[in-house]
Amino acid sequence: MNKEEFLNKLRANTTQQFDMPDMNINGIKYEDTVAQFISMTETSGGKVVNAKKDDDLNAIIRAAYPDAKVIASNVSGIDASLNPDTVAEAQDLNGTDVGVVNGEVGVAENACVWVPQTMKEKSVCFISENLVIILHKSCIVDNMHNAYKAIRMTDYGFGCFISGPSKTADIEQSLVMGAQAARSVTIILID
Amino acid sequence: MSTIHSKNAEIFNKDRAKTTWHDQTFWALREKHDNMAKQLPEWEELRSHASDIKRHTITHLADYLEKFSANLESRGVIVHWAADASEFNETVLDILKSHNVSKMVKSKSMLTEECEMNPYLEKHGIDVVETDLGERILQLLHQKPSHIVVPASHLKREEVGRMFEKEGISKEIGNYDPTYLTRCARYSLRKEFMDAGAGMTGCNFGVADTGDVVVCTNEGNADMSTSMPKLHIVAMGIEKLVPDYDSLAVFHRLLCRCGTGQPTTSFTSHFRQARPGAEMHLVIVDNGRSDMIADKEHWQTLKCIRCGACMNTCPVYRRSGGYSYTYFIPGPIGVNLGMFHDPQKHCENLSACSLCLSCDNVCPAEVAPGSQIYLWRQSLEALGKANKMKKIMSLGMSALFNNPPLYNAALKFAPLANMVPDSFTNLGHLNPWGVGHSNPEFAKKSFRSLWREGLK
Repeated sequence: MNKEEFLNKLRANTTQQFDMPDMNINGIKYEDTVAQFISMTETSGGKVVNAKKDDDLNAIIRAAYPDAKVIASNVSGIDASLNPDTVAEAQDLNGTDVGVVNGEVGVAENACVWVPQTMKEKSVCFISENLVIILHKSCIVDNMHNAYKAIRMTDYGFGCFISGPSKTADIEQSLVMGAQAARSVTIILID
Repeated sequence: MSTIHSKNAEIFNKDRAKTTWHDQTFWALREKHDNMAKQLPEWEELRSHASDIKRHTITHLADYLEKFSANLESRGVIVHWAADASEFNETVLDILKSHNVSKMVKSKSMLTEECEMNPYLEKHGIDVVETDLGERILQLLHQKPSHIVVPASHLKREEVGRMFEKEGISKEIGNYDPTYLTRCARYSLRKEFMDAGAGMTGCNFGVADTGDVVVCTNEGNADMSTSMPKLHIVAMGIEKLVPDYDSLAVFHRLLCRCGTGQPTTSFTSHFRQARPGAEMHLVIVDNGRSDMIADKEHWQTLKCIRCGACMNTCPVYRRSGGYSYTYFIPGPIGVNLGMFHDPQKHCENLSACSLCLSCDNVCPAEVAPGSQIYLWRQSLEALGKANKMKKIMSLGMSALFNNPPLYNAALKFAPLANMVPDSFTNLGHLNPWGVGHSNPEFAKKSFRSLWREGLK
């Protein structure tokens, strides 16, 4: 069906119209937004490592994943053997032990972290066995209303709110971490 | 007088232990929903906003669809318009054929179930691999979802484990640990992601203002499906649109809290265009939805965001199971959607409701599925589907209640019924109301006569 016919039928069948409501919603606020974010991250199965502004991130990643052999990242200053900007195909990132990416907004109410695509192959965010997200404390907001006001999309046209590791409860409602994407998520929270 | 639903429910209830387990599984989800709701003082404010936003969007859908599709097209996404299921299936097949795709990985989408896309594509030589673990289990067992959010929730771990052994997905015979089985599935699906030619996702929300296709999963399978293959196809029903990010925030906060009782899904992905070197297609599907808009009594059913909360709380769903309904979406919302799809075929599901209206009270978009079922029941007569025995009984009751002397006389003689032995009235094949019920005992004196005596 062509678009015009499709929309014409819709218009013909719409006999009444309603206005948008006033969108000033009183979203929840927390006394300590950072503490709430950390607590929710742990509830969602993620880990949080606190870091000072000048801490050595590579040392923190090595301490969190001492057995990691293949690290993939395009974040400047991160020691990585694979770079999602320069691999030929998304599939080349399979076998990555730790992927390291930047997060831009953290949400206290549900531990979501906005990870916009800033690399050629976004598969690094999902195919890695473990994911490290670097986030600044000052970027944590109370709730999703504030988060959707704060996020920005890059030219790649993809972004994802990630909250903890990939999980499933599809087998008899037993919660299992690590379904198809990262089995563990560590947030490095920078002061 | 038994409906197809009640007959199927009877079969489901033969295994009482499993029925109890099923009931408890979903009641636990309902309790998790309540805990989530209690943590947000603005919960009811969110629900009424969700309802109002959807009411507005659905009654301005053509404008929003134009905006949405134009936004996506401006970034190179190819947009298709499908009037019905067969147009949708043909469009998807055309896209796949023109890219020489023989295998597609697919993230869960109830729209593709509605259009019966998998069997169609498979008939045309395309290997479709479900990547949501629950859906994958069902695909390998040749079963359909029994719930829209937790599709394989009716299965026990042993049933999954034995099938994985048979399919060669798990190697340790007799190991039915969910963590072990999930790992096996992860390993098996990894291989499918690596060499599939296309990835398909549904669409939880389409944002008109920005042209975002938003997909929510816990497993990250939508992301794996779209990060590896060079072709991404989105299947989207027209009712999924929301105007902007402010509206999306409201639905994001409600969807998962209502569905599984989590504060959010692990992944909320926003797709605006194809990734470098790839191609993205969006198929916008009507398939009866525009007819729903014209239905003055029931158009608000389109506000539904498919969270599944109505099923979890429904005492009938919990005790009769997803397969007892004739429509592929079970529970209160499925009863309503089935009536839109084919009222003659699915009207027997209308009996699968006790009108407790628990669903009305939890629905995040205030669709009021239970109240809608009540309205649908009033149309049974027009459909020629009203139950004959109930009609005769209604006529009898109407004669009785409209004639006070007759009614009083009946009351006076009612205690005589106490003398009829139970065995006379509990003949199941003659009196279906007798099944599972004992006779009521009539009081020797009616309230009316006691009251009149009191007046003296």
